[in-house]
Amino acid sequence: MQIRDLPYADPGEPDARSGPRFLLWLGRMQLGGQLKSLCWGLLHFLGIAALPYMVGTAVEAVIDRSGTRLALSGGLILLAGVAIAAGDTMLHRTAVTNWITAAARVQQLLARKTARLGAALTRRVAAGEVVAVSTGDVEKIGWFVEALSRFAAAALTVLAVCVGLVVYQPALGIVVAVGIPVLALAVLPLLPRATRRADLQREKAGRATELASDTVAGLRVLRGIGGEELFLERYRRASQEVRVAAVRSARMWAVISAVQVLLPGLLLIVLVWHGVHLAHEGRITVGELVTVYSAVMLLNYPLRHFEEIAMAYSFSRPSAKRAARVLSLQRTEAAGAAGPVDDRGTRGGARAAEDAGTTGGGGSAGSSESAGGREDTGSGEAAGGSQATGARQGSGGGEAIGRSERVGSGEAVGGSRGVGGSGTADRGESAGGRARADAGETSDSTRTADDQQTAVDRGTTDGEPTVVDRGTADGEQTAVSKGTADGEQAVVGTGRAVGKASAGAPDGVLAATPPAGDLYDPATGLLAPAGRLTAVVCGDPDAAGRLAERLGGHPAYTTDLPSVRLGGVPLDDLPLDTARTAVLVQDKDPVLLSGTLAALLDVPASGAVSPERALAAAQCGDVLAALVQGSTADDPMDAHLTERGRSLSGGQRQRLALARSLVTDPEALVLDEPTSAVDSHTEARIADGLRELRAGRTTVVFTSSPLLLDRADRVVFLHDGEVAAVGEHRELVVTHAAYRAVVTRETEEEHTGAEQHARAQDGSHDCGRADDPGHAHHSSHSDDPESGHSNRSGRTGRPGDRGQASGIPVRTIDIEETA
Amino acid sequence: MIGLAPPQYDPAAPTTAETLPVGAPATVRAYVRELLRRHRGAFALLIAVNTLAVVASMVGPALLGGLVEDLSDDARELHLERTVGLFSLALVAQAVFVHQVRLRGAMLGERMLADLREDFLVRSVGLPPGVLERAGTGDLLSRITTDIDRLANAMREAVPQLAIGVVWVALLVAGLTVTAPPLAPALLVAVPLLVVACRWYFKRAPSAYRSEAAGYAAVAAALAETVDAGRTVEAHRLGARRVELSERRIAEWTAWERYTLYLRSVLFPFINATHVIVLCSVLMIGGVFVLQGWIGVGQLTTGTLIAQMLVDPIGIVLRWYDELQVAQVSLARLVGVRDIEPAAGDASVAPEGRDVLADDVHFGYHSGVDVLREVSLAVAPGSRVALVGPSGAGKSTLGRLLAGIYGPRTGQVTLGGAELARMPAEDVRAHVALVNQEHHVFVGSLRDNLRLARAGAEDAELWAALSAVDADTWARDLDEGLDTEVGSGGLSLTPAQAQQVALARLVLADPHTLVLDEATSLLDPRAARHLERSLSRVLEGRTVVAIAHRLHTAHDADVIAVVENGRISELGSHDELVRAHGAYAALWKSWHG
Repeated sequence: MQIRDLPYADPGEPDARSGPRFLLWLGRMQLGGQLKSLCWGLLHFLGIAALPYMVGTAVEAVIDRSGTRLALSGGLILLAGVAIAAGDTMLHRTAVTNWITAAARVQQLLARKTARLGAALTRRVAAGEVVAVSTGDVEKIGWFVEALSRFAAAALTVLAVCVGLVVYQPALGIVVAVGIPVLALAVLPLLPRATRRADLQREKAGRATELASDTVAGLRVLRGIGGEELFLERYRRASQEVRVAAVRSARMWAVISAVQVLLPGLLLIVLVWHGVHLAHEGRITVGELVTVYSAVMLLNYPLRHFEEIAMAYSFSRPSAKRAARVLSLQRTEAAGAAGPVDDRGTRGGARAAEDAGTTGGGGSAGSSESAGGREDTGSGEAAGGSQATGARQGSGGGEAIGRSERVGSGEAVGGSRGVGGSGTADRGESAGGRARADAGETSDSTRTADDQQTAVDRGTTDGEPTVVDRGTADGEQTAVSKGTADGEQAVVGTGRAVGKASAGAPDGVLAATPPAGDLYDPATGLLAPAGRLTAVVCGDPDAAGRLAERLGGHPAYTTDLPSVRLGGVPLDDLPLDTARTAVLVQDKDPVLLSGTLAALLDVPASGAVSPERALAAAQCGDVLAALVQGSTADDPMDAHLTERGRSLSGGQRQRLALARSLVTDPEALVLDEPTSAVDSHTEARIADGLRELRAGRTTVVFTSSPLLLDRADRVVFLHDGEVAAVGEHRELVVTHAAYRAVVTRETEEEHTGAEQHARAQDGSHDCGRADDPGHAHHSSHSDDPESGHSNRSGRTGRPGDRGQASGIPVRTIDIEETA
Repeated sequence: MIGLAPPQYDPAAPTTAETLPVGAPATVRAYVRELLRRHRGAFALLIAVNTLAVVASMVGPALLGGLVEDLSDDARELHLERTVGLFSLALVAQAVFVHQVRLRGAMLGERMLADLREDFLVRSVGLPPGVLERAGTGDLLSRITTDIDRLANAMREAVPQLAIGVVWVALLVAGLTVTAPPLAPALLVAVPLLVVACRWYFKRAPSAYRSEAAGYAAVAAALAETVDAGRTVEAHRLGARRVELSERRIAEWTAWERYTLYLRSVLFPFINATHVIVLCSVLMIGGVFVLQGWIGVGQLTTGTLIAQMLVDPIGIVLRWYDELQVAQVSLARLVGVRDIEPAAGDASVAPEGRDVLADDVHFGYHSGVDVLREVSLAVAPGSRVALVGPSGAGKSTLGRLLAGIYGPRTGQVTLGGAELARMPAEDVRAHVALVNQEHHVFVGSLRDNLRLARAGAEDAELWAALSAVDADTWARDLDEGLDTEVGSGGLSLTPAQAQQVALARLVLADPHTLVLDEATSLLDPRAARHLERSLSRVLEGRTVVAIAHRLHTAHDADVIAVVENGRISELGSHDELVRAHGAYAALWKSWHG
């Protein structure tokens, strides 16, 4: 591997079972590089080791007054010089290449791992670890990899020299052979302590840097209110602590340096003592003495590599361990979240749905036929909910359902939902005023089918089927399964399907095509009709955030709630990438990635919305000006954003994030408080821009700003985790006191009429709250099927919301009635 | 592999405009001189112990030379015991002094480094608030992290090591000159070679290493960002692009690694050649001299050994020299902060009364472009003024002028008749405070976070301030109370708590006039509502200028000023403005339904 060929096309599959195994794996992957490095290292070290011999012969020649031999040894020295220079340069080149290729490989592995883990990573402690591996550990691992071959060469050289000396001059050589190992090992016991001190020093330095950057980051606060001296004093203390720790660490290294001088020196003295005696007795020549002396002097050099490798290993071992840990992370969330999703080409006729939590009768295999009439290759034990599917399919006439194998290990079967029909069942159930039900809870498949029918009927009253079924030849088909017949669309649905892929379908076509239609959450009853701008008001921002996340499918947190459906398709059952393509959820704190503005807005998109249009809709004019001002570029699109867009204000960041989401132009766009930091003037313009740009597209905005609510087609007020009211802002604000309280932030005094009511509401706007027994509103629909029904219709809003514009009264569950 | 051009893309090239000045060469030189003067004692000591260490290290070769001389002469008494005794003494001395060199070098380096970083922070916290507002803290932040880091290496190692290396080379050459004077010229044979190679290398190396380091940092930064933005990356399906970006960064970084490796591949053979040529020339020339009888064998041996010893110090000098060059750039950036004139305040300008008045104010960040024009506004003591208007209209700028952070280009902003722009920042803030979106929680104890507003405040005062903003309940629940470590690395406060801490600071600082710039805009609605209660208590009895994001804030104000295009377009109370049916009225209507 040459540096110029980096990065690797494929960094490989690491052996991340443990740190040492990971190091070993890295070493194995560059065995050739290591061997090359070893060979050049040997040339280099042996060249150096040969010098003393030549110096010795030269001195000998002079003593013997032989000019020829002097010239000869001079020639030999030059020859050795060439070997040394070539060896040194090439050793350096090969060793550094090993370092760089290893570092690049680990960085690539990390990048891939991170991209795969995605949102799952941010909630983990591991996020910090990934960064730590990338910034610190890679270097240490690289160091060890680099030092390894150099050490091997040095060790071989030392061995060779010792053997050589014993052969060349046994009397002195034996002294060297005994002394050298002592030299090699002498400082090793000191190293752990020295590295510990160095670590402590680094830690303190890190702390001081943190204090300094923290002080600078808050400098405007400090300058505005005072306290500079307090913080300077604190920093001085930290800075002095670093100094003391550094000097303490240096003390240890100073001792090591002294030992490194003392021990070889002692060996030399012994050599001189012994050697002079031998020479005096005529047993060795003077030249031989000089040779041995300078050989020992030069051996110091390869000997240092013994220390290097000891240190490199002690540094890199914990690093490798951490790297291995990070690289073995898997996205194996519990139910609801997908495994590493890459199901392209895995779907086909095969399906086996196993639905946990089903109460239905014994699992009958729901076998189905693929559109092409292919036999089911994976037979499934499908119980309960999937039974319904079976039934439906029976009547519906063979749909290829199901997707395929999940790659990630540890999929939770328990969380999986029934196939196809479950969606409908779900809806049907709610229409019947029941408790929310996952298909699994349906015990009776016939019943489900009936309910499906209900749902369909209801849906079709206004001419648009509830659960979209585009492309299915058979109109009876209710659930999911859009366009299976023409193979355009995958029918998703099955929980953790086990079946193996059949090779029938063209790769990636089916599952990769995202569904379309209404966005519906069975858990809260929230419905965002296709093509409309729906605003959601929810008193509890955290609950709103969780709901928003669920609306995109595959939430990163664990939940038992049923999946949100888009056009009837449970998003959780779609491949992650498909779900993300269909629904884009912009959370409360979207991150602006650094780079040019053009790069920021260059996201996977439908292509229908140009960056310019999106920027205009999000009112980014002043942001562009600010970007140009702080940049070296003249075109705002070439201007660089700093990390997280820190150089911009909160409102400016929000608007850029919004522009980015608009460019994406997804089927359904969910925005969580997209304008909370924007001033009212601008917000009003954004609301208009958003409405215009998203015309005909499904948009959900979580907000409590009247300016946005006023411009929504439909406002949904969530209370206690359920839809409490649906309507237009102007109506709700008049008719619904709890709603009014949330969006206008009125105080009790201001609205004496609503006082009682507001008190009842105080603190209970949390839409995530589980229960509020005795609350009139709540009991109304759980006890009374009739009113519950009307609620539901308000909730699912089928006929209602379509009729809204045409003057059909909005149905709301208004607490005022009961208050 | 003959010749390699530096890669096209330079990761070290600046992408954001340099917002703070970079030190001129003269400033840098003056600073270095001052630094050296401050530490001249330590420097002298380092050089002294270093000299002794090197001299002691030459004793061995000298004694061996003597012995070889004696042995080759054969007849004479050897005095072996005496020689070995001397040798041992010299060795012990050498070990002691080497120890000292290493230690003194570190002490000196660390002291200089500590001086430098503390100096820098002192300068930074003294910057005029206007400079900070305009420049932001990003540039400053990168200086205090990246540049200090780069300098750390230079100060800690390069300066002492270079001093050691240079002294060492000089002494070895001197040693050779003393023991075998005729051999000294033999050293010169290799000098031209070394000089040519070094000139070539050092012309290219420093900037290449800077780019290489920046390239490597960019690899890690790209990954860190992917991690940090995990949710966004997943939502926008950017995974593949992030992998691509990481790989592009790796390619950019390794291109620079390859280039620097090439630079070293050229330099290394020359250095190796130098060593061998020195050794060879000393041996050959010396050998001829011995044959001619001009010098003795002993002298030749000593000379040869000393020539061999030159390898180490030359390596040291070369190794650290480029580090020093890189450090120069960083030093210029640090020292540049010293070039900013501290705001000249006139301590004798003192306000009488609390009226805030802007009189026909014009202001712009760049000459020729006024952000505010003909703005006049009177704020009566104790009254509330709300500034509303679209982004970029200039309301934040007006707020900063009223808070005395910027001085107007023409016209005046006065507090109690005293011109704010002429007062020192430390005096202004006793009267007026700007509260913005930044609720920075400093790393440290909760106590430190509060006491910055009133140095030396007792705990009772701190608790009183916390309870004034409704923060005492959660604060009392903290395990260690005021000693609880907060900020990054410590307990992380919720945005609402951070805001309450900021408000408690205001209570402690007790300025009579507050300029609120979107102070609660980053908070979620529920927290905002709770905080507004805390805030209203803090505002009681103070003059308040609020830059309002939310119209209900404006609704409660005594006077509302609508700022549009740098001018005040509407001015009056809520009811007046609603009646006037202007822009405000339209907005209010939309807001309130």
